[in-house]
Amino acid sequence: MADVTNNSYQPGTSPAGASSGMSWGEWLDRHSRTFFITPAVTLILIFAIFPTFYSIVFALSRVRFTADGLQFRFVGLQNFAKQFFGNDQVHFLGKTEGIGVLGWVFFGAVTAAVLWWLYRSLRITSPVGMLGRLISAAMAIFIAWIMGASLLAGSTIGTLLTTLFYVFVGCALQFVIGTGLAFLCSQPIAGKNFFRVIFFIPLMVTPLGVGYAMKMVADITKGPFEPLLRGFGIENWVWSADPWAARFVMMICDSWQWIPFIFICMLAALENVPRDHVEAAQVDGASSVQIFREITWPQIVPVAVTVLLIRTIEAFKIVDLPNIMTGGGPGSSTESMTLHSLYIWRSNDIGTSAAVAYLLLILTVVVCASFFNYVVLGQLRKARA
Amino acid sequence: MSEAPFKFEKANRGLMERLFEPPAVGRMSPVANVVAYFLLAVWSIFVLFPLYWVVITSFKDAAAVNQGPFYIPFVDFVPNLNAWRAQFTEDANCNLSSIGRQFGLLVYNAFAFIVSPVVTLQPMEPQICKIFLAFTNSIVVSAASTALCVAIGSMAAYALVRVQYKPKFGNIMMFVALTVLVIAATTYTRAPWWASSAVALALFFFLARALGKHFTRTLGNGDILFWIISQRILPPIVVIIPIYVMFQAVGLLDTHLALITVYAVANLPIVVWLMYDFFSSLPIELEESAQLDGATRFGIFWDIVLPLTRPGLAATTLLTLILSWNEYLFAVFLATAKVQTMPIMVAAKNAGEKGVFWWEMCAIIVVMIIPVIIMAVFLQRFIAKGVLLGAVKG
Amino acid sequence: MASGKAGVPVSFDKIQKSFGPVRVLEELNLQVEPGEFLVLLGASGSGKTTALRILSGLETASAGRVLIGGRDVTDILPKYRDISMVFQSYALYPHKTVAENIGFPLKVRKVPQAEQEVQIRDAAAQVQLGELLHRYPRELSGGQRQRVALARAIIRRPSVFLMDEPLSNLDAKLRGHMRAELKHMQEKFGITTIYVTHDQIEAMTLARRVAILERGVLQQLATPAEIYNNPANLFVAQFIGSPPMNVVQGALDGKAFMSNGAAIATSVGGRIAKAVLGVRPEDCSVVAPAKGAIKGEIYATELIGDHTLVTLKAGNDMLTVKAAKDFTAKLGEKAGVAFSTDRLFVFDECNGLRVR
Repeated sequence: MADVTNNSYQPGTSPAGASSGMSWGEWLDRHSRTFFITPAVTLILIFAIFPTFYSIVFALSRVRFTADGLQFRFVGLQNFAKQFFGNDQVHFLGKTEGIGVLGWVFFGAVTAAVLWWLYRSLRITSPVGMLGRLISAAMAIFIAWIMGASLLAGSTIGTLLTTLFYVFVGCALQFVIGTGLAFLCSQPIAGKNFFRVIFFIPLMVTPLGVGYAMKMVADITKGPFEPLLRGFGIENWVWSADPWAARFVMMICDSWQWIPFIFICMLAALENVPRDHVEAAQVDGASSVQIFREITWPQIVPVAVTVLLIRTIEAFKIVDLPNIMTGGGPGSSTESMTLHSLYIWRSNDIGTSAAVAYLLLILTVVVCASFFNYVVLGQLRKARA
Repeated sequence: MSEAPFKFEKANRGLMERLFEPPAVGRMSPVANVVAYFLLAVWSIFVLFPLYWVVITSFKDAAAVNQGPFYIPFVDFVPNLNAWRAQFTEDANCNLSSIGRQFGLLVYNAFAFIVSPVVTLQPMEPQICKIFLAFTNSIVVSAASTALCVAIGSMAAYALVRVQYKPKFGNIMMFVALTVLVIAATTYTRAPWWASSAVALALFFFLARALGKHFTRTLGNGDILFWIISQRILPPIVVIIPIYVMFQAVGLLDTHLALITVYAVANLPIVVWLMYDFFSSLPIELEESAQLDGATRFGIFWDIVLPLTRPGLAATTLLTLILSWNEYLFAVFLATAKVQTMPIMVAAKNAGEKGVFWWEMCAIIVVMIIPVIIMAVFLQRFIAKGVLLGAVKG
Repeated sequence: MASGKAGVPVSFDKIQKSFGPVRVLEELNLQVEPGEFLVLLGASGSGKTTALRILSGLETASAGRVLIGGRDVTDILPKYRDISMVFQSYALYPHKTVAENIGFPLKVRKVPQAEQEVQIRDAAAQVQLGELLHRYPRELSGGQRQRVALARAIIRRPSVFLMDEPLSNLDAKLRGHMRAELKHMQEKFGITTIYVTHDQIEAMTLARRVAILERGVLQQLATPAEIYNNPANLFVAQFIGSPPMNVVQGALDGKAFMSNGAAIATSVGGRIAKAVLGVRPEDCSVVAPAKGAIKGEIYATELIGDHTLVTLKAGNDMLTVKAAKDFTAKLGEKAGVAFSTDRLFVFDECNGLRVR
């Protein structure tokens, strides 16, 4: 270190190219391209990439805490297998015995549609693209089968379908309401800025705080809606005891937090549409609904799908709300996969916990990558072409 | 030439048109006005009511909570400060000077940690009430992790905009293979983690030197950017278990440092993504002229680029700050006692034996969310100015 | 002439407009004849675009009335005004093809599909766009986009065309070409057209009459020739003409204009302590110092092509003279400027009005 600090930076004194005579500052500047990006890459390698690989080891092992650290025993795919076939199957996939007529019809329809899509993409895609499409297709068919066997047969669903329910139904609802609110706020109304601020706040409130606030608000005996429930004569109805009611409450509370995200992005996109376009349409006689449908909406579709992608990515991580409001109950019917993994970790079964987490990673990556490749990229290309 | 098929010659509008059509461009029709304000009002109530309920509950006592819902202070219940007193006055160490002392202690402990390889200084134990401890922890962790994250992230984003990187695909594969080897070695052969990592790192640099020139396939900046941003897809639960084990191995569990680093990494993709967009919209001429004047890359970045992106930088910082403040899952694993943040403290309140003291809990929630709501209002200003839209446009 | 309908008159009746405390238009009164091509000319901030937007209904007047075809349209929506507008940016919808862009006014009025197609082809043919109907705006050149915007405006055969600097985004050569086409089209259809521009050449070449606006006040409304030859005030005189009119400050003393001790004979009489003498560069000539009404020295000479611009410095005034293309002179050489008395304009410096 000593010779480095003594070597003060003097421009022009060191002969160019001779590294021995190069001052410290100059050396730093010459390698600045490395220094700019190294910290970020290193941190991600250590705290994201390395743990992701390390997690595989956990998922493939039976892990025990011992006096001198962790003890791993390699068990192969056992941790994964028991999610699909063994005693944890009901927890993860749901009860899948007895697929009914409806289930077969649904499964058959989805399979046929996916195979048709694969056949059609045969001509337009590369081998690598085809591999990706095969993976997407396999997952779609698998999920369709699980849905047919559990959901449509009227039996219990597992954390997999619960997570997908939060993601797909939740995102769809949030997108529709968020875009609707954004459209309202893009209209000429007084107090626009007031509403913008109000509507934005829930997004930034600590999710954990949201969980407790919602737990209080949704309380059926001491919560604010108690008189209302009594008025309808359903004061004995306990939403947290009914699996689907509990899931819908979760989803609505999640929407309370996340609709602002869609709202704020879509509003910014709406206001970014050139004023000329709207005015030209007004002169040509279009109504505000026509303007939205014909002029504004087609121009914000690329933003819309990007926003939806971001929201979908974040939606897979849902954990705070069910953890606080229902503790995953009744049974495990409001558990998301993250919560599922967290509860297994609490019971000290680290290997299985890691396996569930890994299944969530696979699910998230396949769904988001499919959405990105088949929808978002297409829209972005269309907008840029 | 035929007459035009239609004419817009309607001077007197009928009743329906008066109701459903705006009187002029830039105004709304009466019906649309009513519908719009109704919907906006309904949504405002939906948004504000849970927050309102938390605030009034914090001024209730046990009776007012347990004897059924009461809605309006002074009308159907008498507000009191019991819940707040329970948090702030029962502990002797609940005053501003203890917060000051806590920051001093943190500085001392940080110093003790830095010099610990040379001299062993006993770190001091905090003397502060629980809520202030959690509050200071939250402040320290979110501020430090935001600073770290924004600094590192904007540097990387700037480099990705202005410098061409060409990492070799073969080197990356080699790195991955060595990582897997290190993991296998440490878990199944009980080799110490530091030894195997050091060997692997040395091996990597040696092999990269030796074999690197034979690899021809390279990746570009776009790939690096996509790689960094796509880390956001990674569910935290996947990485948190190994991270827990890693921090345990180096004895850093339940320290500020652990939370700060992990939060910074978790938010890095967002910072890089947003800052990349801001930097790529800057004109390159200013930097080029500074380069001709002999400024260094760091100098250009600090003196020219950062000031130019000040609004974007401020918005990004604010967003990162809020996200760090709100983080819960990492803290559950990494902050077991001393560095409990506000969310962890709130969650701990839930586990009382005598049932949940909702009024006290609400008081803490209010303390927890007031800073974020203030920050959210500021952030909303930036968003309204369109500062954060560019990135979403993709 | 193939015109289907005669144009309609348009008038602004005491129109005022202010944005908050800023007054953009102060009592604008303007009558546009049926079928006339009227150009609103002014610098930026003169209120010309605001006047056009009030006529289109995109902006509401603070006071006054707008009449189209004798009908009061002040408070009705743009779609009832039977107007169409060409925007400076063309405002073509990027996600619609040329055909969809042109047909949009028909689509929102729910014209049957078959009829739409006929009309789209007809309108596209009028502006020579027949080949490009299936392209997107981004695949077109600037001139072609301009034509699409024009086609979208004419497809409805409106009573009034409004154009907001439609040529300002084109390069110089194309602009000249499109100018001729616009004029041809307007005369062919005979539709009343109101055209906003800051470019005096466009104004002079296109307009039957030009209305010059400055700071929300109408300065002069007259034919281009009248405006050039007979400016109503100093602003109009200096605004129109390139290079601009030479001005010399001084005083009007009876029959002569006194400046820097020189007396210049004028055709107007009267006594004004502070007056301004104006003369166009082409009405001046460079002569020997003794013969000139104003004496000065050569400051610069610029050969334009068919003529040479000579700038002379006389006291504090700079005078530009349009001389023959073979004119040569050394810098700093003494010279005089002569002009014919009947081509001189005298203005009162206090209110800028022409002294006649």
